[in-house]
Amino acid sequence: MATSSHLLPPQALHMIRSQPSKKLGFSPFLSCAPSMNPILSISRLSLSHSVSKSSFSLDTKARREVLVRAEDNPEAVDANTATEDNVVEADEAKAPRKPRVKLGDVMGILNQKAIEVSEKVRPVPEIRTGDIVEIKLEVPENRRRLSIYKGIVMSRQNAGIHTTIRIRRIIAGIGVEIVFPLYSPNIKEIKVVSHRKVRRARLYYLRDKLPRLSTFK
Amino acid sequence: MAAALASRLTKGRSLLGGLTNAFSGLVSSSSGSILSQQQRTFIQMGTRLKVVDNSGAKEVMCIQSLRGKKGARLGDIVICSVKESATKVDVKKGKDAIQKGKVKKGSVVYGVVVRAAMQKGRVDGSQVRFDDNAVVILGIKEKKTDEKGKEKKQNYKGGFNQPLGTRVFGPVPHEMRLKKQLKILSLAQHLV
Repeated sequence: MATSSHLLPPQALHMIRSQPSKKLGFSPFLSCAPSMNPILSISRLSLSHSVSKSSFSLDTKARREVLVRAEDNPEAVDANTATEDNVVEADEAKAPRKPRVKLGDVMGILNQKAIEVSEKVRPVPEIRTGDIVEIKLEVPENRRRLSIYKGIVMSRQNAGIHTTIRIRRIIAGIGVEIVFPLYSPNIKEIKVVSHRKVRRARLYYLRDKLPRLSTFK
Repeated sequence: MAAALASRLTKGRSLLGGLTNAFSGLVSSSSGSILSQQQRTFIQMGTRLKVVDNSGAKEVMCIQSLRGKKGARLGDIVICSVKESATKVDVKKGKDAIQKGKVKKGSVVYGVVVRAAMQKGRVDGSQVRFDDNAVVILGIKEKKTDEKGKEKKQNYKGGFNQPLGTRVFGPVPHEMRLKKQLKILSLAQHLV
């Protein structure tokens, strides 16, 4: 787990239980690493874990089946693979087929899984453009206490796990805009303080308006 | 305001110029996302920057970016020429006092970019951008008729950490910590 941890987004680490078997890295890893090319990740893992040739080839063939299995019963995967070894998993892959996941849906499913994982740790409230929001952020450079960012949500870009919101505020006389990924583990708390009625999805006009409109105490 | 808006819109490749605020806002928002979003770029030769310390200079023009082929970003060091400095009538005593080695108009200085209109990405996936471009002056580049380049390099090789002024105004981003500008961080009013 430690060897592949640098490849994984932090959310994915939640999914991977501390299993001793090398195989286990695969199924939960595949199901929650949305940004990784599955083929590339498999090859990396195989090198780092020095998985035997037979199991490697098996997995590239059974990649889709593995994904299908993971999608249907994520908890069962972890429980099963605790006691399984390579041979048993080979049998499961050839077992009665579940509806095949189409290649086009893969990213959507991966993103959903990653979002679920992140939601378990910290639920994200409903945030829309025009909300005045307060975010408590843990900055690795400033380990002492949480930084607080307050401001109006200028835009929300939906991109699965990398859904971001853009916060604008006048700080010390200068307008500052910060883009936060909503599901980042660094964000410790998001709170909607109030709401301003806006008739746009993106409030870029605020940049040209008076600073008074972007000031929030 | 309208003039500033017009100049910004032309930068964003829109054909509006000199129109009123509301109308241009309406048109730019309907004409597609690429046009209405402004892609800010690097700080390069000719960029005017605001000076946000009490070193004596007010406005400065970048003449060389010491890092990056395309230009400087947030946290990079630039060589600038002082275009406008605080006049002698300004505050001499007290907290806002102009430093003894006061920077005059026309002198060439080193500065670190503390605020940039171009967004800077951080390792956690967030991005930060400010509404203006600002520098803090680190040191004056002395002019010498002979041995110009070599001597400067030896002097300033590792020592770009102390700002010339004693106060820094406005917000300062965390990137200063990575760039080892700890003095500026400690002087800052507000950390972003």
